[in-house]
Amino acid sequence: MTMDTPNHIPDIPQEKFKFVQLDQEIVDSAFETEPIGYFKDALIRLRKNKASVVAFYIILVISSLAIFGQDFNPYTFRQQNPERTNMPPRVPGLEKLGIMDGTTILRNRRLDSVKDPNQFPEGSVIRVFNQRTVRGVEMVDVKVDYYKLVGAEDEYYWLGTDYLGRDLWTRLCRGTRVSLIIALVSVVTNIFIGIVYGAIAGYYGGKTDMYMMRVCEIINAFPQIVVVTMFILFFGTGMFSIIMALVIRGWIPTARLIRAQFLRFKNREYVLAARTLGVGDLAIIFRHILPNSIGPIITRAMITIPGAIFSESFLAFVGLGLKAPEPSIGILLSQGQKVLLQHPYQAFAPSLMISVLMIAFNLFANGLRDAFDPTLRGQE
Amino acid sequence: MCITLFIILTIAFMVVRLMPGSVYDNPEYSIEIIQALEAKAQLDKPWIIQYFHFLKGALRGDWGVSVKIAPCVPVFDVIKQRIPITILLNIISLVISLPIGILAGTVAAMNRSRMPDHIISFLVVNFISVPSFVFATLMQYFLAFKAGWFPIVYSATAAGTAKYRSMMLPMLALSFGPIATVTRYLRGELIENLSSEYMLLARTKGLTKYQAAFRHAFRNSCVPLANIIIPMFTGILGGSLVVERIFAIPGVGGLMVESVSTSDHFLTVAVLLFYSVISLFTILLVDISYGIIDPRIRLGGNE
Repeated sequence: MTMDTPNHIPDIPQEKFKFVQLDQEIVDSAFETEPIGYFKDALIRLRKNKASVVAFYIILVISSLAIFGQDFNPYTFRQQNPERTNMPPRVPGLEKLGIMDGTTILRNRRLDSVKDPNQFPEGSVIRVFNQRTVRGVEMVDVKVDYYKLVGAEDEYYWLGTDYLGRDLWTRLCRGTRVSLIIALVSVVTNIFIGIVYGAIAGYYGGKTDMYMMRVCEIINAFPQIVVVTMFILFFGTGMFSIIMALVIRGWIPTARLIRAQFLRFKNREYVLAARTLGVGDLAIIFRHILPNSIGPIITRAMITIPGAIFSESFLAFVGLGLKAPEPSIGILLSQGQKVLLQHPYQAFAPSLMISVLMIAFNLFANGLRDAFDPTLRGQE
Repeated sequence: MCITLFIILTIAFMVVRLMPGSVYDNPEYSIEIIQALEAKAQLDKPWIIQYFHFLKGALRGDWGVSVKIAPCVPVFDVIKQRIPITILLNIISLVISLPIGILAGTVAAMNRSRMPDHIISFLVVNFISVPSFVFATLMQYFLAFKAGWFPIVYSATAAGTAKYRSMMLPMLALSFGPIATVTRYLRGELIENLSSEYMLLARTKGLTKYQAAFRHAFRNSCVPLANIIIPMFTGILGGSLVVERIFAIPGVGGLMVESVSTSDHFLTVAVLLFYSVISLFTILLVDISYGIIDPRIRLGGNE
C-alpha cells in the first residue's frame, strides 16, 4: 500500500464537509454492569464459600429451633412428671427404623421379676440376655420397650425425659435459646464497649492511648476463670451476672482491633479533609473512620459468639450456671453427664447441639473474615 | 504483674468478706465456735483492719482454714496435695499437643490446598469448636464404657502404668484443642514464610524444597508460637477444671468446683489465686522468653 505524501492533499470542495455529531450529545457511555459496593462484594465472596453457606443455614435452623422449637410438642420446659422420669427418646417415624424407638436396656434385674406380668407388662420385654446367677439369684439384663413398660404407649418424648420427667426436646430448645441470648447480648455489649474505648484510644493517641492501653493490659492479665468465678460468686447466679462476667474481659480484643484500625486510618487524606472543613471529632470518629472497620467488627463478633457459648456451658459445668428450672445447653450437658452411663441419651443431645452450633459459628466466621478481607484467605 | 496480683487479692477479699452471712456458715458449728473462729480471723474488727490482716496473712501463706470440704485444715495444705496431679495433667497435655500440632501444621502447609491440607483443616475446625468437656463425655462413654479400653474414672490408688492408663482419656480430651490451635497457627505462619523472598533465595542457592522449608521457613515460624502458648496453657487449665470433674481426678480443678458448690469461700479464693499466680507466671515467662528466642524483640528502651 502506498502512502500519500503530506503535501499531496486531494482537492475536496468545502461543501462536501459536514458536521456529524452536532445534534449528538457526547458523554461517556454508562457502565452496563451493576455497581458493586463493599458489602455486595463481600456477599458475593461469602456465597462462593460452600462451608460458610452451609454453616449459615445450620445457624438459621438452630436459631429457629431455639425460637419456635418449644411449641412443637405439648410439654413445657418446667413441667415435671414423676411417672415419666428418664424416658428414652422416641420419635414417630424413626422408631420403625429401630433408632430412637423408646427401648432401653435394664441391667441386673431378677429373672422372676422379668417374668412377672405385673412388673413387666405383656410385650414390653424385647430381649433377655446375659443370664447369670449371683448368690443363688437368677439375674438378667433385659432390653425393654420402656414406653410399654410404664404404660405410655401413645406418648412421644423426642429426646427422652430427665430425672424429673421433664421433656428434653423442649428443654434443649429453650436451653439453646438461653445460651444464644447470653452469647448475643454479651457479644453486642463487648463490641459496643470495645468500639467506644478503642476509638477514643486510637483517635486521640499519645498519653490517652498509652494510659488506656495500660488499663487494658492490666485487666487482660486477670485469668478469665478467676474473673468470671469471682464475679458470679459476688453477684450471684443469673443471666445478667453471667453476661456481665463475660463482658468484663471480653471487650479487650475488640478495643485493640478498633484501635489498630483507627491508627491506620486517622492520618488519611479524607480525615484531614474532613477536619479542614470543620467536622468535629465525634463525627470524624463515627462517620468517617469507623465505617472502615465494619467488616472486621462483624467478623470479630462472629468469632466471639462460640467463645461466649463455651464460657456459658463451662460455668454451668462448674456449678455457676443459671438457677433451676431455667435450662441452658451447659446445664443440660452437665446434668446429662452425671447420668452418662445409665442414660447416655441425656448427654448426647446437648453435646451434639453445642458441637454443631460452635462448628457452624466458627465456619461462618471464617467465611466472613475471608469475604471481608480476602488478603487473609488461607491463613486461619 | 504485682499490680494485677494485688487487685486480685483485693477483689478476693471483697468477695469473701462482703458477702452476706458468715463465711463460717456451717450448720455443724455452734454460735460460740463461729464467733471464736471469727475472732481468730479478726472478722469482728472494722473492715480496714480485716483487709490489712488479710494481706498480711496472704503474704505469709496463711489463707485461712477450709470450712466444709476439709474442716479446719488450712486451705494451703488442702491445695498443696492437689497441685501435683493437676500440673502433671496439664504439662503432659501441653507436651503431647505441641509436637503433634507442629507436625500436622507442617504437613498442612507443605501440601497447601491439597487433600492432606483439607483433611487437616477440617479436623482443626472441629477440634477448635468442640469443647473439651464434650470430647471428655463422648470418650468416657464410647472408649471407656462401651469399648472398655480405658478405666472410666481416674484411679488415684493405682500405680505405674495403670495410673497413666487412667489418665489417658483426660489427657486426650484436654489436648485436642491445643493441638488444633498449634496446627492452625503454625500452618498460617508457615504459609506466609514459604511465600516470602528469602525462601526464593534459599531455593536459588540450590536447596531442595524441603531443605529450604525446614532450615529457613520452619525456624522462623516457630518463633511466634511462643505467643500462643500462654493462652493455650491457661486454656488447658480452664478445661481441666471440668475434665477433672468428669473423670473424678482429685486435682485443683475438682477442688474449685467442689468449693464453689459447697460455698467454701476461703478455699475458692485460694484456688482462684493459684490460677492467677500460674497464669501471671506464664505471662512473665513468655515475655522473658521473647528476648531469648528472638533478640530483635526488645520491649521498652529506645523506640
